[in-house]
Amino acid sequence: MSTKLPDGKTMRDGQIFSARLNNVVTTEREFDELVVKSLPELLDRATGQTKRFLRETNQWGDDITHEKLALRWGYELVERFVVFGRTEVPCRPFFLLDSLIAKSFSQPDPLCYHKELLTPVGRFLDGLASRAVVSRDALIALFYHFYGFSQAHVVKLLGFGQAESQRVYKNFERWRQTGWQRTMNETGLSGSEIEVLEQELRTRPDHLNHEVDRLMPVLQSHYRKSEPEHYPCLSEQKWGQLFHDDYGHDYRVWHLAFCRDCFLEVADRRQAEVSSGLKPQVNLHIHPLKKGGVLALFGGDRGGRHHGNTRSQRLSRTSA
Amino acid sequence: METPDLNDYRAHLLDALDDQPRRAGEERPEFLQVLVNHERVGTLNCAHTDPSFSYTARERSIQHLEIRSESGVLVGGCVAPEAGQKSVRVPVGRGSVAIQVQNHFDGGSLKLQYAAAPGWWSHLASSIGLAASATAAPTASRTPVWTMTTAFAQIVLAVGVVALLAERIPTWLNAEDRAHQLEEELAARQSTQEQIDRVHQQLAQLVEAQASAVAVSRSEQDRIAQLNALVDTVAHAQQKLNTQVVSVQEDLKTVKTDVAQEVETGLRVAVNAVEADRDLVRQDLKSIKSVNETLIKQVALLESRNRELHARLALTSLEVAKANAAPKPTVVAKGDLPKEAPMATPVADGIREADRQAFMFWVAFQDGTTEKSIEDLVQELNGIKKGPMKSGWYSVEVNLPNPEPPDRFLESVKRAKIVKSVVTSKAMPPAQ
Repeated sequence: MSTKLPDGKTMRDGQIFSARLNNVVTTEREFDELVVKSLPELLDRATGQTKRFLRETNQWGDDITHEKLALRWGYELVERFVVFGRTEVPCRPFFLLDSLIAKSFSQPDPLCYHKELLTPVGRFLDGLASRAVVSRDALIALFYHFYGFSQAHVVKLLGFGQAESQRVYKNFERWRQTGWQRTMNETGLSGSEIEVLEQELRTRPDHLNHEVDRLMPVLQSHYRKSEPEHYPCLSEQKWGQLFHDDYGHDYRVWHLAFCRDCFLEVADRRQAEVSSGLKPQVNLHIHPLKKGGVLALFGGDRGGRHHGNTRSQRLSRTSA
Repeated sequence: METPDLNDYRAHLLDALDDQPRRAGEERPEFLQVLVNHERVGTLNCAHTDPSFSYTARERSIQHLEIRSESGVLVGGCVAPEAGQKSVRVPVGRGSVAIQVQNHFDGGSLKLQYAAAPGWWSHLASSIGLAASATAAPTASRTPVWTMTTAFAQIVLAVGVVALLAERIPTWLNAEDRAHQLEEELAARQSTQEQIDRVHQQLAQLVEAQASAVAVSRSEQDRIAQLNALVDTVAHAQQKLNTQVVSVQEDLKTVKTDVAQEVETGLRVAVNAVEADRDLVRQDLKSIKSVNETLIKQVALLESRNRELHARLALTSLEVAKANAAPKPTVVAKGDLPKEAPMATPVADGIREADRQAFMFWVAFQDGTTEKSIEDLVQELNGIKKGPMKSGWYSVEVNLPNPEPPDRFLESVKRAKIVKSVVTSKAMPPAQ
């Protein structure tokens, strides 16, 4: 489709939208309509700026992995722009997008870039962690993908009761059905790459787990986003106190999912409660937990305390 | 580079972006995750009786705020300035979240308040509640009438519902069309409501602007009154200044005349004193001149005597020389002769020196004569320049041999080409 210009030349749709994206948008409705029609241009612009940032910080490599990385980060920037932009009307969309991108890149460590995270296993871990920052489903799933902990183990480890367990795991089915696949798609991992990973996990599990163990600190230190005042690493004594006094449930989930050292320490300390019989260690799982694996066993201990009436809720199958 | 793979990935991301509003709309707000600057800081429980969330950030201001569902779908959010406040309302599901961000440079605070959209039953309940409250006062006193009224109202309501159902049932068959129409109507109503809200906001801004303009005009009037008072005081001060200036001018005139008189008398005294001094100087000069003339005369006399004495001395020395030149008595031993011979030479030299006489004269040279040729002439004459040139005259002193008269010497000097004039006045250089 093309439009005639006054001087007789024709303008393609992309050019029309480019021109309109430079103009002032006055209403939210106009903004939504324009954004929906201009998504390719917005994505290209955000991707281009991301590439430029990577080049300027000497983090760019001229290969498909970097291209995918720039596309993924561009996508995240545009997603925020689409939602935030409605609150900034009236505005010039391109200017607003540029300012959002500039603001994002001006933050300390805006992107999780590490050369070794560009391998298939690195991208897999990066995609999971990146998703877990914004999705509770993915966050809970990290315990399984990183350590092979099922719901029962996780509930025991975190010292949750039935109410918390149901709340945490009620949407796990959604992760299994769509969340995991969407994360893989948005990370840019193709089916063949996932198959290669599966193959390697079958043939050389120790090697792959060792690789994961090596990459986890790099990954988690970026995605933990634990400002000291929010989610600091606690001492063994304080973890004990936290479980004993039965508080900080949110804290337990977030910090332990994103901190290998604290996880291993707490898992080791609560080995009796977890009753897995094995010393907790990194144990990578590519695909989400099958439906039958989400069997929750609620013991009498909830967060370190003994509740007499919890025996009646010992066996429960969640909706997931 | 695997371009098809990359293109597929890009297409997938575009689909996800395109699908984002639908996914956000489908989310049922229960536990909303709150992320500040991409860090999760807590959850907003929308099912709670008071669905609000507060957060205070230290060290960094709240620049990015994201509200996400538990599955991670971005359902709302905003960006806030580094310092200042921002208040927005974002739709989440069927309700909305009011966001208030207050930022300062080293931190900020955030408040979220979820408001669920009121359902149709609540509208109905409120309208019934309003009707009931309006009739509450009379019914309290007359219970039977209230009962009858309630029964009547129920009957009317039932009939109305039946009539409404009878009217609507056929249209429900075209439910989809109606739903579309309803959606369009809702959209139109929403846009109209937005426009009305905007007009209200503009009106409120206009009223504020008008109030501020009135306040400004009042303050301007006050300022003008102050300015008028200031101008009056300035005028008074100017009049006073004028009178002062006139009096000062008169004073100045009198002072001027006094000063002129004083200056005149002073000048007269000074002129008289100068004239008296000048007379005294003239008298002194005259006396000096006369003394000078007598001195010149005495000098000339002394010189003539001196010349005479020289002449006598020369004669005496000649006679002595002749007497010495006569043969000596034989008593003198021959061996003494060589000793006597050398003694004659200094005596002769002394005679020659005595024969010379110092002679001073003044000479003027032709125009354009160089200093070098003057020096050469002076050297040729065996003379010495005495003092600097005065009014074109050089004083030159030469030692003339005694027999040569000065007049002849001067004649020989005058014959030189560069010499213009020669005089012998010894007192001072001749005036030109």
